[in-house]
This record gives sequence, structure tokens and C-alpha cells, in this order.
Amino acid sequence: MGNLTRRNFVIGGGALALSPLIVPRAFAQAKTIKIGALYPLTGNLASTGLDNRRGVELAVEIINGKYDLNLPLARTEGIPGLGGAKLEVVWADTKGEPKNGQAEAERVVTQDHVVGIIGAYQSSVTKVASQATERLKVPYVCSDASSPTLTERGLKYFFRVSPHDGIFAHDQFRFLKDLEAQKKQKVQTVAVLYENTEFGSNVGKEDLRYAQEYGYKVVADISYTNNATDVTSEVGRLIKASPDVLLHASYITDAILFTKTFKEMGFNPKGMLTMAGYIEPGYLPAIKADGNFIIVRSTFALDLAKKKPLVGQVADLFKKKYGIEMSENAARSFMAPFVLAEAISRAKSTDAEAIVKALQGTNIPGDQVIYPWKGIQFDPKTQQNVHATGTLVQIQDQKYLTVWPFESAAADVVWPLPAWKSRK
Amino acid sequence: MKTFTKRQISISGAVLVLLALYPLAVSGSFAMHLMIMVFLFATLGVAWNIMGGYAGMFSFGQAAFFGIGAYTSSFLFTAYHVNPWIGLLAGGVAAAAAAALIGIPCSNLRGHYFAIASIAFAEIVRIHFNNWKLIGAAEGLTIPMQDESLRNFMFHSSKAPYYYIMLAFLLLSLGVCAWVATSRMGFYLRAIKESHDVAKVLGVDVVRYRMAAIMISAFLTAMVGTFYAQYILYLDPESVLILPISVQIVLVSMLGGAGSVMGPVIGAAILLPISEFTRVKLGFKGSGLDMIIYGTLIMLISVYQPQGVWGILQKIGRKKK
Repeated sequence: MGNLTRRNFVIGGGALALSPLIVPRAFAQAKTIKIGALYPLTGNLASTGLDNRRGVELAVEIINGKYDLNLPLARTEGIPGLGGAKLEVVWADTKGEPKNGQAEAERVVTQDHVVGIIGAYQSSVTKVASQATERLKVPYVCSDASSPTLTERGLKYFFRVSPHDGIFAHDQFRFLKDLEAQKKQKVQTVAVLYENTEFGSNVGKEDLRYAQEYGYKVVADISYTNNATDVTSEVGRLIKASPDVLLHASYITDAILFTKTFKEMGFNPKGMLTMAGYIEPGYLPAIKADGNFIIVRSTFALDLAKKKPLVGQVADLFKKKYGIEMSENAARSFMAPFVLAEAISRAKSTDAEAIVKALQGTNIPGDQVIYPWKGIQFDPKTQQNVHATGTLVQIQDQKYLTVWPFESAAADVVWPLPAWKSRK
Repeated sequence: MKTFTKRQISISGAVLVLLALYPLAVSGSFAMHLMIMVFLFATLGVAWNIMGGYAGMFSFGQAAFFGIGAYTSSFLFTAYHVNPWIGLLAGGVAAAAAAALIGIPCSNLRGHYFAIASIAFAEIVRIHFNNWKLIGAAEGLTIPMQDESLRNFMFHSSKAPYYYIMLAFLLLSLGVCAWVATSRMGFYLRAIKESHDVAKVLGVDVVRYRMAAIMISAFLTAMVGTFYAQYILYLDPESVLILPISVQIVLVSMLGGAGSVMGPVIGAAILLPISEFTRVKLGFKGSGLDMIIYGTLIMLISVYQPQGVWGILQKIGRKKK
């Protein structure tokens, strides 16, 4: 490119910068209801944000179009309570930073006049963004951030559909009890291992609380930084403590590192109950068969389709639209637009107070959600969905299979897990 | 001390009047947010300039001072109900003390060695705060909402008070910087920047003046940290103590022109709107195009105009004469 002069380069760059501004805007439809969606669409978490976005896009398509699905507002076009008005999403990029969460929430409310907000994925960003919407008196329906503190602040305009980390931690202990009662497996001691940011340390706190409540002895309580490059000392302490069960809250890179170190050093508890990192799309490709038998919390698994045809129908639509399997992140974000739109439809108004009142009266039955829940109803005080629970999936033959709750299990849980030496 | 020309005085007067009227002219909180961010980074840049631009101490660790300021006032408020304005002063003092502590061992480091040490310092602070249970560790601190008032340093119904406070902070730091630049200290700092040894031979107390520059810079930076905390009402190590904040501060100053009083202001006035607008207009597409355009602009300026935009303006001014 010898003849690329400085001038041409600058002009080209300028034109590139302006191009999105001169594309004509689509003709505004007579009746559209705007909602704002905050996600980390660029930056470190861009791939996750994109996954969240796909879930929301599909949900809005189902709400606006006519689909023979047992989901709220699927069989009608648009929002029936407002004469079939269409839902329009105003996308806002947080870049994963709290200050942008605030700025973008304010911008879409004051400039685009959205009637409600969804999203943010990260708990820290959600925290700040929901403070902004509280000040502006705009409803916020979150179905993807999991810090328990979000719904403990007494906010009036903030609702959470999905389970929080406290619920997930509780699930793990309920699983252990069920295991003892139904599968006659004895568990006495647990080790708690967690990365030390907001997510991990909250899980650690909840784990310790439930261990006491359920009467398990905690033989190790270990926190670490998630960008550690060597965890042999942590694993050494675990081996020394020799717990029946390991409870681990991690992100992806540390999940991979720990799994490798477990194998190298031969750490063999009866079971490993883990969170987050172990179910990210990058985990299994990196670790392959060594990930087998690890149990992970999840809100969603494709095999739920066996018991719940709706899950299969939605997952098929997703795969047709994007060419990839529906991930947990996409599935989590999927539900928020339905909850918000269904409340707007019942409120028959876009007035914030009316929508909040309708949200408080939300009662979506279990057969209309794509998770194994009894439905969606908000606690009058915290506005957390009281029916939100997680499931536990176990990696078997390098696939995530639902193993708990036992009544919706797609596979039998393998317990105790085989020692590293005896694996081929 | 250099005297200002009539033209300079009338231009700055007009700019000030325009800035004072800006909140009345615009609607929507985003326009206000944008200007607040411009002022915020301009102030951080001006504070950096005192040590980086004049004294040649290229700090890539300003986030540490910023975070210490934000954390001190927020912790004092959440734990002991200390008024944030007092917290602001306490944060400034704490940051200046930290600066002195780090300044002593680093006082003989030059050029990139100082830059490396500053990064290390900021990372130590970040990791320490990340594990410090008393101040919320990695979970951070949430500042509970209070009634809005100047006394509480908290406003809900309008962003205008934040705007004026941040503008006042900017003017204050510009005043401090102009004073440093034109005082005896400014000349000493420039002498130190040119050559440590020559300055020492000429009788300049190198360590003392370098320390003074770092401490003033740290105090002003911490003050902005408190403002940030009161503006966002939530902070964790990831949002106030990370390296990208330090880099952004250096960028703003270098782009506008390090070593001139107004340089960082111009840098912030160019960089922040570009970064905010590209995010708003392009970020939602998720293509990363906004970052590419942003990066390209920075590259163009650093390759073709290393003195910064202020250098370009000066060249134009000289031609006119």
C-alpha cells in the first residue's frame, strides 16, 4: 500500500468514524415501547455480553412475532395490553465498567426514554446502574447478575428473576442432604475454596454459613486471587485437609489451573461442587476428559428439554438463528424481556409506577419458563424471584448433564467420583 | 511571573462564562455526564502534569492516589459517618502521605525506572485493597444514599451541582499548577527534568522538590477520587485502582501537551468526548470498532504531533504573529 498518503489515511479514518451516523434511521413505527439493555458488549467480557445479547434478541423476536410457544406473550404479536405495541431494545455498552453502567442507564432513560431496563451481567455494574434507575424512578428487571447484595438494598424499582449466589450455595447443601437421604452416601466434611473478588468471597461466606446450618465440618477455608499462575500450595492444603467434598467458586482460568493441579497432585475428594468457571464455554475444550465427574451449578441445561419440551423448542430457535448452541448466559438473559413486557402488558401503561405495581404482581407459572423452576413471583420485600433455584449438572463424557434436583435429572449422579489413578 | 495578555484574559473569561452557562443550555444527563468526565480527567491530567510534565517523573501509578482518595472518604463515611468534605481532605492527606512514603525510595529513580516503580506501587495498592477486609476487599464499598445537599456532597435530582463542583476542582488545580509552573519551584522542577546531576550541582535540593511535586500531585488526584466516589456512590478496586485509569491520565496529558498548564485540559476535552461518543454510537454493535477509531486517533497524534495538541495550537499562534 505504497500510495496510502497521510491525508488519504486521515480522510479515510474520518469517513469511517462518521459512517454509522449517516445511515438513515429506520422509520419509527407508530407504536413501539423502548427498553434499555446494558451489557459489556466490548472489552474483556465482550464474548459474554454478546451471548447475553443473543438471548435478549431472541426473546424480543418471540414477543414481537407470533410463535406457538408456551412463553408469556409468544402467541400474540407485540404487547397485547398496549394494542400490540412492539418492543424495541436500545443497546448500551458498559465496557464492563461501573461508571459506564451509570452513564448508560441515565442516557437511555433521559435521551431514549426507555420505560424499563434489563441486564448488565456483572454485579458491580448492575449495582451502580440500578442505583441510577432508582434515582430516575425507572423499573429494572435483572436476570443475569448473581451477587446476593443486589436484592438486599431495599430498592423499589429493582427486580431479579434469576437465582443469586446465596441460592446456588444453598442448592449445593440441599444436594448433599438429598444425596445422603436418597443415595445413602455419607458426607461429613467440606472444604471451601473461592477466588477473592465480589463473586467468590460472597459465595465463600454463604458456603460457611450453610455448612454450619446443615452440620458439615469445614476442614479448609481457602481464598486465592483468580489470576494466580500456580496453585500447588492451595491444593497441598486441600490434600492435607482431605475433605469429603470440595466447594469451589472460580472464574474460568483458575478453574482450568485448579483442575490440572488436582490431577497432577492427586487430590481425590468424594465430590467436587463448583460454580461459574467450570461451565464457561472455554472450560471443557481446555481440560477435556479431566473435567469429567465435576459437578457445576447452572440455571439452564440443554438436556432439560427431555422433561420440558419448551426448552428444546427455544434452543432449536436459538440454534437456527445463530448457528450455535444456546449457552447458560444467553438463557439467563432470555427471561428478563418477557417478565418486563408481561408486566407492561398487564399494567396497560408505560408509567413507571404502574409497571412496578404490575411487576410486584407477577405470577408466571413454571411451565412458561425455560428453567426448572416453579415459576416467577417476586418477594414483596426484596423483589427477588422466590422460585428461582439452580440445578446441578455433572460433566459426564465431556457433556454437562443435569443430575439434581433428582426429579428433573437427565442422568444419574456419579458419586463418589473415581480417583485420578483409576481413570484411564 | 509572566503576565497575561488582554487577549488571553478575555478568551479565558468568555470560556468560563460559557462553561458556567452550559448546564442551563443542555438537556439530558448524558451531556452533563460527558462534561463532568472531561473536567474529571482534565483535573487528573493537570495533577499528573505537575510531576510528569514539569518534573519529568512519568507516573503510571496515579490510580493509586485516586483510589486512596476515593476509599478514604468513602470508608470514613460508611464506617464513622464522617462528612465527605472532611473525608476529601483526609483522603488528600492520606494520598500525600502515601506519596511521601513511596517518594523517598524512588527519589533517585529516573525516566522509565520511575515509571516502572510507579506501576509496581499502584499494583501493590490494588492487590492490598483487594484483600483488605476492613474496606470491603474485592467487594468494594457502597455509599448509602443521603438527602441531596452540598453538605452531604450528594445530588440526585440534577447533575448540575456535580458539574460545578468538578469545574471548581479543575480551576483550583489549574491555579495550583500555574503557581507551581511560574514559581521558583517550577524552575527547579524543570531543571531537575533536564538533568538531575546538573540541578544538584547548581544547588537544587532535588529530593525535596521532587517530593513536593509528588505530594501536591497526589493530594489533587485523591481529591478527584473522593468526587468520583460521591458521584458514582459505589467503588471497588476494579473501578478505581486499575492500570487503565493511570494510563488514561497519562494519555490525556500527553495528547494535550505535557509540561504546559492547559495541555491536559485540551487533551481531556478531545479524548473523553471521543471515547464516550464512540462507545454510545458504535459500542452497542459489539464490534470493537469504537476502540479501533479511538486507538487510531491516539496513534496519529503521537506519531505526527508528539508535543500534543497544545503544541499545534502554539505553532498556529506563532505563525499569526
